[in-house]
Amino acid sequence: MRYGFLIDQRACIGCHACTVACKSEHDVPLGVNRTWVKYIEKGEFPNSRRHFLVERCNHCANAPCVEICPTGALFKREDGIVDFDKSRCIGCKSCMQACPYDAIYIDPDTHTAAKCNFCAHRIDQGLQPACVLVCPEEAIIFGDLDNPTTRISQLIGRESVSVRRPEQGTEPKLFYLGADETALMPEALPQPLGAMWNEPPAATTAAPPANASWMAHTDHAQVAYNVRHEQPWGWHVSAYLLTKSLAAGLFLALALLLTARIPLAEPLALGAVVAGLFFLGLTTLLLVIDLKRPERFLYIVFKPQWRSWLTLGAFALMAYGALLALWGLIELIAPAPPLAFTWLVALFAVLTAVYTAFLFGQAEGRDLWQEPLLPASLLAQAFIAGALTLAAVAALTGQPAALVRALALTGLVALLVHGGLIGLALISPASTANAAWGERELTRGSLASRFWGIGVALGIALPVLLLAVALAGSGAFVALAPIAALAALIGLVGYEDAFVRAGQAAPLS
Amino acid sequence: MRLSADDFRRFAATLGRAEPAAPARAMTPPAAPAAPAASIGSRNGELPAYPPSDQWDRWTELEAKAWPERVERTYTLAPTTCFNCESACGLLAYIDVETLRIRKFEGNPAHPGSRGRTCAKGPATLNQVYDPERILYPMKRVGKRGEGKWERTTWDEALDTFAARIRKALIEERKTEIMYHVGRPGEDGYMERVLQSWGVDAHNSHTNICSSGGRFGYAAWMGVDRPSPDYANARFTLLISSHLEAGHYFNPHAQRIMEAKKRGAKLAVMDPRLSNTASMADYWMPTFPGSEAAALLAMANILIQEGSYNREFVRRWTNWDEYLRDEHPTAPQTFGEFERILKTLYAEYTPEFAERESGVPAAQIVEVAREIGRAGSAFAAHNWRAAAAGNLGGWMVARCLFFLNVLTGSVGTPGGVSPNIYDKFVPRPFAEPQKQQVWNELTWPKEYPLSHHEMSFLLPHFLQEGRGKADVYFTRVYNPVWTNPDGFAWMEMLVDESKIGLHAAMTPTWSETAWFADYVLPMGVGAERHDLHSYETYAGQWIGFRQPVLRVAMERLGKPVQYTWEANPGEVWEENEWWIELSWRIDPDGSLGIRKLYESPYRPGEKLTVDEYYRWIFENSVPGLPEAAAKEGLTPLAYMRKYGAFEIRAGAAMPYEEPVAAEDLAEGSVDEATNIVWTKRSRPHTANVVPRPAPATSERGAQVGVRVDGKALAGFPTPSGKLEFYSRTLRDWKWPEYALPTYIRSHVHPERLDVERGDFALIPTFRLPVLVHTRSNNAKWLTEIAHSNPLWMHPSDARRFGLTTGSLARVNTEIGFFVPRVWVTEGIRPGVVACSHHMGRWTLPEYRTQGGWSSALASLDHDGDQWKLRQIRGPQPYASADPDTSRIWWTDAGVHQNLTFAVHPDPVSGSHCWHQKVRIEAAHVGDRYGDIAVDSAQAHAIYKEWLAETRPAPGPDGTRRPHWFLRPDRPDPKAYQLTAGETTDA
Repeated sequence: MRYGFLIDQRACIGCHACTVACKSEHDVPLGVNRTWVKYIEKGEFPNSRRHFLVERCNHCANAPCVEICPTGALFKREDGIVDFDKSRCIGCKSCMQACPYDAIYIDPDTHTAAKCNFCAHRIDQGLQPACVLVCPEEAIIFGDLDNPTTRISQLIGRESVSVRRPEQGTEPKLFYLGADETALMPEALPQPLGAMWNEPPAATTAAPPANASWMAHTDHAQVAYNVRHEQPWGWHVSAYLLTKSLAAGLFLALALLLTARIPLAEPLALGAVVAGLFFLGLTTLLLVIDLKRPERFLYIVFKPQWRSWLTLGAFALMAYGALLALWGLIELIAPAPPLAFTWLVALFAVLTAVYTAFLFGQAEGRDLWQEPLLPASLLAQAFIAGALTLAAVAALTGQPAALVRALALTGLVALLVHGGLIGLALISPASTANAAWGERELTRGSLASRFWGIGVALGIALPVLLLAVALAGSGAFVALAPIAALAALIGLVGYEDAFVRAGQAAPLS
Repeated sequence: MRLSADDFRRFAATLGRAEPAAPARAMTPPAAPAAPAASIGSRNGELPAYPPSDQWDRWTELEAKAWPERVERTYTLAPTTCFNCESACGLLAYIDVETLRIRKFEGNPAHPGSRGRTCAKGPATLNQVYDPERILYPMKRVGKRGEGKWERTTWDEALDTFAARIRKALIEERKTEIMYHVGRPGEDGYMERVLQSWGVDAHNSHTNICSSGGRFGYAAWMGVDRPSPDYANARFTLLISSHLEAGHYFNPHAQRIMEAKKRGAKLAVMDPRLSNTASMADYWMPTFPGSEAAALLAMANILIQEGSYNREFVRRWTNWDEYLRDEHPTAPQTFGEFERILKTLYAEYTPEFAERESGVPAAQIVEVAREIGRAGSAFAAHNWRAAAAGNLGGWMVARCLFFLNVLTGSVGTPGGVSPNIYDKFVPRPFAEPQKQQVWNELTWPKEYPLSHHEMSFLLPHFLQEGRGKADVYFTRVYNPVWTNPDGFAWMEMLVDESKIGLHAAMTPTWSETAWFADYVLPMGVGAERHDLHSYETYAGQWIGFRQPVLRVAMERLGKPVQYTWEANPGEVWEENEWWIELSWRIDPDGSLGIRKLYESPYRPGEKLTVDEYYRWIFENSVPGLPEAAAKEGLTPLAYMRKYGAFEIRAGAAMPYEEPVAAEDLAEGSVDEATNIVWTKRSRPHTANVVPRPAPATSERGAQVGVRVDGKALAGFPTPSGKLEFYSRTLRDWKWPEYALPTYIRSHVHPERLDVERGDFALIPTFRLPVLVHTRSNNAKWLTEIAHSNPLWMHPSDARRFGLTTGSLARVNTEIGFFVPRVWVTEGIRPGVVACSHHMGRWTLPEYRTQGGWSSALASLDHDGDQWKLRQIRGPQPYASADPDTSRIWWTDAGVHQNLTFAVHPDPVSGSHCWHQKVRIEAAHVGDRYGDIAVDSAQAHAIYKEWLAETRPAPGPDGTRRPHWFLRPDRPDPKAYQLTAGETTDA
């Protein structure tokens, strides 16, 4: 038993009956939709035509939302329906990032994730989904894909059908018959400035510049109707990336110094640990307040879904926090914890720094985040944050020059790695149109000033210059290191903010 | 052509329903409701849609909101009829037996028109029932009219007030001072009966701002003013109106058009705007507005010149002989001669001429014409509103379109177009009033003797000219201030108590018009009232029974209900009970002869109940229903309460080919000159009282048919008994130039536009799939989808004015301007702009209302003839019992363009010609979105200009109107006669 939908766009007249029947069946609040009908227009008068596309959950065989969900609130039933249990949902919105189809929303009443669940309550009672029975054109066909005698199986066997974003490997079970290619590809068209009978989808990002070569293939096409989709993640997440870099990076810088046997005063080490713990706490706090159901944050611990990097990350953060505290305790009562233990803690610091890359990797809807070198980039950022912060403190508190130099050198190297990775990402071609949209948004769109001005110029170029000057002996560390650290930290949060938002810029529907 | 049993089996198969037991006109048992019966629970992936009908009384299902927790809720399922457009689709209400709250509306699988499916507007009925801004109690004005001050009153007080006022008018013989002005009737026959029972000529409608042009075009051919296309069986369909997007019978028609298309039928759409229907078409023909008739006549010409028309049909069923007699008396009176003349008549309508007029390539016109010729008798076509409602002479578009049906012989055929009366059944009620003896000149003025129908939108101008007054004025599901052109004239009229004596707005929600009432009487929305409907939504005949579903639920649960308002929210009444109560109180002692029509047919002398009214109809006037009910062990009323619909006949019918009844011939005679068959036998009462054209009676008796090839056949209800290619009526009523189908240049014809100076033709009428004219303001799910009406403009035009999507434009009409946003699209012909008519609802600060889901808050300024409306804000979130009001995310309410339109009454059909010649410019400094400015003196001057084009009654026989024409609430023939004084005035 494997349920799927087939939308016959040859018969669909774009009447929105499915949209409203679904709202009624599930009492879906205003502002969000489980299914909707996108309109695009294509072609030059009088050869122009409007094309409709019924959009909703694809009930993927390989559902990224189920994979990323930290508490198992989203799950796949034995009959192939991807369903959800709002009583388990913590509102982390990662499923919204994982879904390449814009199918999931946060219900404003329950503050939990929701989407088309194939009317599982009706299916279990032996009734058709609400959208199927309302459709005037019988254009929504559903049934068991495993059973070769069902209408859906026969149509799929006989006709040429398409699915959306097959490259994501999700194995969608929402098939389209006769759908327009451009309608299937949300990235093919700019976000509209207006629409034929509603306010245009929220302009959370400006349209990318109307670049002639990019527009050429659109054949006078435009989006005529679509629904709104908010960007799930904002400053909480950008800030969390910085506090996490600090939490991990402070200890990593410390561990590096210890490994290199560069002597350092105990208060500095203890201070780094305390600060690390503080930033770890802040990181957790940011994560919790970003939840739509923050009071449920412990569900991650008590109802963990182990394939989710949100779950794994949470445990990594907890383990790192415990180890870091233990390391600090040992340092406090019996100076100099064994190096092997330091390395163990450092290992968890690395995990803390880089796990977000794997979480972003699970966000199948955001191709910009699918950067293979992202773990390295996050590690570099942790070193920048940790080493330069320590360098600044060390310089200001008059620590030995060798120590300050070592930290500054570490920071400099990390900055160069970070910059190099950004450069590498920019020169390598975007893997998908979705990623390309994000990259355009980052480098030429509304986020360009944040990216270039704060992330690159202030966050990399300036500290590199200052540190180089200081290391070359042409300037005082006490003056330059704090400025470099401050610039780098502001740069990191600016860069991450731009990166997080750019990843979500491309329309998914 | 006679239909064989095989034909019906084939139609039945395409309709996916049971094979009828008897041929066409015999009454067939209803198809069993498509109930899934025992298949519930089937898990092979092909699941049923609806609970089995034997479990509708009590049905338990899992609650979606609680899922995945398995919470069961028990409902009683009550069928009713959707009221959100004119299609009358079946709905099935799920009423929670514990809370008596309606959980949802699905389609009613037992309804043969909609077959269990609905458009978006069906399920949104729920929003209208639970709209937080609906009016729950009767309100009485306390301040000045239009000031917005109200107090709650009682229904008793309202009934007594109106009864006394009407009684006084009747006694004082002021019978034309009562007016009932209805927007969406949503029923057949009930209201006409009420008004005739009072002896008044009070019926007014919205028809002439809507379908009048289309109606008159069809009526010129056959008296019958509506077409009934059999899309499901068509091989080729040509639409001028957008039946896959909106329009009349949207859902039932869209189902069948696509059904045929899936089978391989082709679709052509003539529309200057890329409608959703045009998008689905095999041929989109974006005619310049008003040029449609030119393109249609070019197609007719191709069929004629190429000889691919149905000669036999044209010979047998058009009045070519009458044409030759009247116009070519010296020519040989033969069909051959007629064909020769026909070839010359339309020779000038070449494809190249049509291309010049319409902009549609000649080659496409030729191709479509040939497709139509190939489709032959399976050629369906439709024009309702659209071009017919847009243009001066728009009625000729419908007439030229039906010309193609006549040429192909696709009249009454499977896949063709029938007169709607073949596919509509209005059952006779239990007691019928006499026809009224009076004629209301305010609705049927002498200047428009041919109008189809009431000249409703001219009322303010007529009253301004002192033509009369409305002492009692009911508006029902009608918002003329908003909907009609020249709304400021309506405001000026409504505040004047010397023109409108007492105004009751019968409406479930506040509207721009309700604010100008003396009483606001909240009436039930679609699921809160009784009505009986029958519409020509496919080739067949059915009735649909609208029910107050909460009343049905309470009765099923053993809670007796005397009046529907007891079950409805607040004190919301249903009109049927209001009219019974009101009529009773107008004539409490029966001295006016009114009361007896409201006495129960079952309990002599006692007051009628709604149950009894419909019970009598179902028991006596619906063929086959008592038998079908008996089969299920139900009374006819119980059957209709259970299923909500009944199919009387499936499949196309061709009654014009039926022989005249032998009994009629026994007392009959044939006019040798005209071939008309007359009979002196009195006309038998028929169960179906659908209004029919009524050719005059003569000293030979009543016209019952026409002789064709020596056989007396029923024919068409026209003076010639045939389809009137040649309209003697138009000739006799002073329009000889329009006696034949021809092309009339529109008031927005390109030669009247100065393109260089920014003139455009504006299409202001198009509908959207999710809205109900202006009435969706109380449906949040619909408003969320559509809430803006930008001005569609082609990129080449937008460039000329430096406009882009989102820019403000100033659109200047003859009497003012409005300021919309622009939507640049390849979906419109260059030189044409379009703006949907749904949006732009508004409310004023003094009304202290939120304005629902989609009204703007606006300020209204009035200085003499100068009116200004400016939006203060669009819709915004607010707190209410419905948490969704706090989630209103849109801020756009659209622009109320209709205010800036002068009246354009077509001098022949009486239709308002909606299209506007507008001059477009970029918005001026200081212009704000939604701004409206109007000069109402100029508006009256434009009215005078159009009025001057008329050719008033009397007709050849000294009457006000051709008696054979349809007319709602047709009065006694005596009332048609103009008195000597009136004739001179004219």
